[in-house]
Amino acid sequence: MQLNEFIDRLFERAQAAGFSDYEAYYSDGDEFEVTVFQGEIAGYTVSSSMGLNFRGMFQGNMGYASTQVLDEQALDMLVESARQNALIIEDTDQQFIFPGSERYPDLPGANPRIAEISEQQKIEWALELEKAALSLDERVKQVQSCVLATVSGTVRIKNSKGLDVSHSSNALEAYISVVARQGDKVSTGSDLLATHEVEDLNIREMANRAVKEAVEALSARPVASGEYKVILKNDAAADLLGTFSGIFSAESAQKGLSLLKGREGQQIASPNVTLMDNPHHPTALGSAPFDDEGVATTVKAVIDKGVLTTLLHNLKTANKQGVQTTGNAAKGSYAAPVGVAPGNFYFEPSQTSLDELIAEMGNGLLITDLQGLHAGANGISGDFSLGAKGYLVEGGKIGRAVDQITVAGNFYQMLNVIEKVASDLKFGFGRVGSPSIRVSGLSVAGQ
Amino acid sequence: MISKRIAENVIEAAMATGGDFAEIFMEDTRKNNVSLTDGKLETAAANRIHGAGIRVFNGLNSVYVYTNDTGEEGLIRSARQAAQAIRAGGRHQPLPLRGSLAANIHPISVLPGDVPGQKRANLVHRAYDAARAGGESVSQVRVNLGDVDQEVYIVNSEGLMVGDRRVYTRMGISVVASDGKENQTGFVGPGAMMGYELFETRVDVERAAREAARTACVMLSADQCPAGVMPVVIDGGFGGVIFHEACGHSLEATAVARGNSEFCGKMGKQVASPIVTAIDDGTIANEWGSLNIDDEGTPTTRLVLIEKGILKNYMIDKLNGRRMNMPVTGSARRQSYSFAPTSRMRNTFIAPGEHDEDEIIRTMGDGLYARQMGGGSVNPATGEFNFAVTEGYLVKDGKIDRPVRGATLIGKGSEVLMRIDRVGKKMWMAQGVCGSVSGSVNTNVGQPMIRVTQMTVGGR
Repeated sequence: MQLNEFIDRLFERAQAAGFSDYEAYYSDGDEFEVTVFQGEIAGYTVSSSMGLNFRGMFQGNMGYASTQVLDEQALDMLVESARQNALIIEDTDQQFIFPGSERYPDLPGANPRIAEISEQQKIEWALELEKAALSLDERVKQVQSCVLATVSGTVRIKNSKGLDVSHSSNALEAYISVVARQGDKVSTGSDLLATHEVEDLNIREMANRAVKEAVEALSARPVASGEYKVILKNDAAADLLGTFSGIFSAESAQKGLSLLKGREGQQIASPNVTLMDNPHHPTALGSAPFDDEGVATTVKAVIDKGVLTTLLHNLKTANKQGVQTTGNAAKGSYAAPVGVAPGNFYFEPSQTSLDELIAEMGNGLLITDLQGLHAGANGISGDFSLGAKGYLVEGGKIGRAVDQITVAGNFYQMLNVIEKVASDLKFGFGRVGSPSIRVSGLSVAGQ
Repeated sequence: MISKRIAENVIEAAMATGGDFAEIFMEDTRKNNVSLTDGKLETAAANRIHGAGIRVFNGLNSVYVYTNDTGEEGLIRSARQAAQAIRAGGRHQPLPLRGSLAANIHPISVLPGDVPGQKRANLVHRAYDAARAGGESVSQVRVNLGDVDQEVYIVNSEGLMVGDRRVYTRMGISVVASDGKENQTGFVGPGAMMGYELFETRVDVERAAREAARTACVMLSADQCPAGVMPVVIDGGFGGVIFHEACGHSLEATAVARGNSEFCGKMGKQVASPIVTAIDDGTIANEWGSLNIDDEGTPTTRLVLIEKGILKNYMIDKLNGRRMNMPVTGSARRQSYSFAPTSRMRNTFIAPGEHDEDEIIRTMGDGLYARQMGGGSVNPATGEFNFAVTEGYLVKDGKIDRPVRGATLIGKGSEVLMRIDRVGKKMWMAQGVCGSVSGSVNTNVGQPMIRVTQMTVGGR
C-alpha cells in the first residue's frame, strides 16, 4: 500500500475505534556503505527501509504501535495494539497531539551534491583512503577498518489536528582505523568524518591523522597515578558531553534522574562555559526545522556564562512545569515514545587556540580519546571513570604519548572547574560537538 | 514466509552475475515494551519489524542489500541490486532447495502475543514495589519489560531453506538512591530465551528488584575508589564481562580473519593461565544467548574456546571462514535483517574451577573485590579493554573493608588472562546486550569468582 493511502485508512480506523486524536510518524532511509580491505571491496551494503509509528489518545491516554510493513494486517495491528497499550497507561501527565507552529525555520534539506555521488566514486574514495593510510609510515602495514558511506532519510509527521510536515537530510561518512606495529607493541589510530558537504572529504588528511595517532601511540606508556590538570581534546570533550547530555533533559529532571532539577537561573558551571543547543547550525548533522512532535525548533544557550537558563523540554514536560516547550521532543527511532534530546549540542568555542591552552597549562595531560563511555560513565550520578589515551604536556609543550590510564571525575563538578574553552569546535559523528576544554583537575590512574 | 518458487527465483537473480553464494534472510518480528517510572506505567508500545536481507559472495567479497519490501518484485529487485555489485563473470549453479524447520531445543510455553497488557503491568508494578521497599534512600525506580517474538526464514544457494522462531523476554530494573546531593544507581536485568513462563520458573521479580535497590543504597554510602595497581577479585555472574571484553571479542572471526586480533596465530598455544577453561555455548536450553540455528542457518554449537589455558577455537561465520580457510561454528548472528551476519558470542563463560571462594578473598592481601560489574569495551587489535565496577569493595589484609564507587578496570586481554591465579567453584551467568558490527545481540556472560594478581584500577 502507498504511504498516503495507508495513513488515510489508518486515520479512518483510528477514528472509528474511538481515538480522540492521533498521529502517524513516518521515517525512511537509504544507505550505501562500502568497506575495503587490502585493495578490494570486502563489504558492500545497500538498503532502503522505513518505519511508521502510530500514536493516539484513547480514553485520555496515549498508546503507541509501529510497523515496517504497510499492509492490511498492519492497519489492524496498529490500531488494536495502540488501543490496548493506551488502556494500561497510568501516567497522568498530559500528552499532546500538536496542531503546528506558526512558523518553521527555513533550513536546507538533503544536499543534492551528496545524492549525486556515484557508487563508483564512493568505492574509489574508500580504496584511495586505505591506500593513502598504508603509504605514510612503514610501521602501519594494516588497516583495521576503512568505510565510506552515504545515508539519507526523510521524516514526516501527519496528525488529526491538521499537522503535516516533513524534512529530508543526508550525509557523507568516512571512517579509517589503522594498526601500527613496532616490535611487540601494537597501537591503533582512527579518523572519522560525517558531513553535509562533499568538499569536507580530505582523504589525505584523514589518513594522516589516523596514521599519526597510531604511530605516536607506539611509544605510549602510562603516567604515574595522581591528580592532573587535563585538556580534553575536542573529540574527547564532545564524547563526554554527549554521554551526559541527558542531565539537561527536563524529563530526566522531573523523574529525579538529573541533579539539575529546579536549578534554572542558578550558576551550575564556571563562567567560562556557554552550552548551546542549536538545531539550526549550518554544518552540524542534527539540524531540523521541527522536533519529533512537529514543534518548530529553537536556538538557545542552555548554560549562559555558567548559568542554567533552561532545561530541554517537549510538550509534556513543559506543560508539567508550566513553561513553553523548547522544541526538543525526540524519538530514539520511529518506534520509540516521544522523549527529550538536544538538536545540535556544544560548548560555545572561544578565540583561544588549542596551542595556547596547552602553553598556558604548563604541565598536565592532553586527553585525545576516552574509552568505555557506555559503561564507565553514569548519566545519573555524573560519575565517570574511563580508559584514556593522550599525551603528557610538559613546559607548555606536547610531550610523549600516554596510554593504559584512566581519568575519573564527576561531570557536574567538572562543569565548575572548566578553566578555558578553545576555538576548535568539532562535531563528532552526530549532533554533539565541543571545542577542546581545560579542566583544573581530574584523577588519573596509571602506574 | 516465502515460497520455494520465489526463493529460487531470488537466489537465481542474486547469482546472475557470477556470485558463488547467495542467501536470503527474511524476518517478521513482534516486539512489546512497557515501562514504568515513579510507580506509574508510563509507556506501552508494540512494534512489528519486517524485512529481508540478501547477501551474495564472490570469493572474499560480500554484498548485502536489505529492504522492507518482501514481495516477489521487491526481493528480485534487491537481488538484482546485489548482483550488480558483483560482476564476477562465470556462473555458479545454486543447489535445489530442501525445506526444513530448525529442531527446537528451547521450548516456549507462554508466548508473548498471548499475554494481556494487564499482566505486563502487574509484573512491572511488582518489581517497582519491591525496589521501593528495598531501602530508605531509594528515590526513583524505573522498570522496563520487553519481549521479542522473531520468526526467521533463511534460504541459501547451498540448498538450505530453514525456518526458526526465537522468543525472548527480559525485565530491566534501574534503581536510583539519593541523599539529595548525590545519586547512585543499581541495575538488574534478568532475561531468557523464554516467554512469560520466565517469571514463574526462573526469575523472582521481587528478589531481583531488591538486589538492584541494595546496590544503589550501598553505593550511596561508598567512598571514591582509590586509583592504582592492585590484585582484583571479580565475582561470578556478570563478572564474566571481563572475559567477554578482554578475550571473547578478540576470538571472533570478525577480528581474527583480518589479522586484527592479538590472538591471531595463537591456536594451540597457551593464552591464559592453566586454570582457565572458557566456553561459548549456544545450545544451553532457554538461555538468553542461545539459538537453535544461527543467522546463517547453521545449527548452533558448544565451542570450547580455551581449555586449561590453551587456545582451542575461534568463533567463525561463513565469510570469515573463507578468509581463514576454516569451518563455521554456528556463531553467525545479527540484530535483524538490516545487518549482514558475522561471528558473535552467544553464552560465554569461564568454566568452574577448584578454588574455595572464601580462600580467594582471604589470601588476596590488599586489593579490590568487584562484586557487580557494568559493561565494557575492547580494541581487539591491541587487546586494550576497559570495564566498569558498579559495586566494589576495598579489601584490606584479606578482609572486606568498605564499599567504593567509580572504579574502572583497564588492561590488555592477553595479560589479564595469564594473571588469573584463582577460579572459584560456583559458576553462574547474567544477561547482557552486546553491540558490534552486526548490531545488538543478546549474550550471556558468566564465570565463577576469579582473582587477577594485578590490574590497573581507575578511580580518584
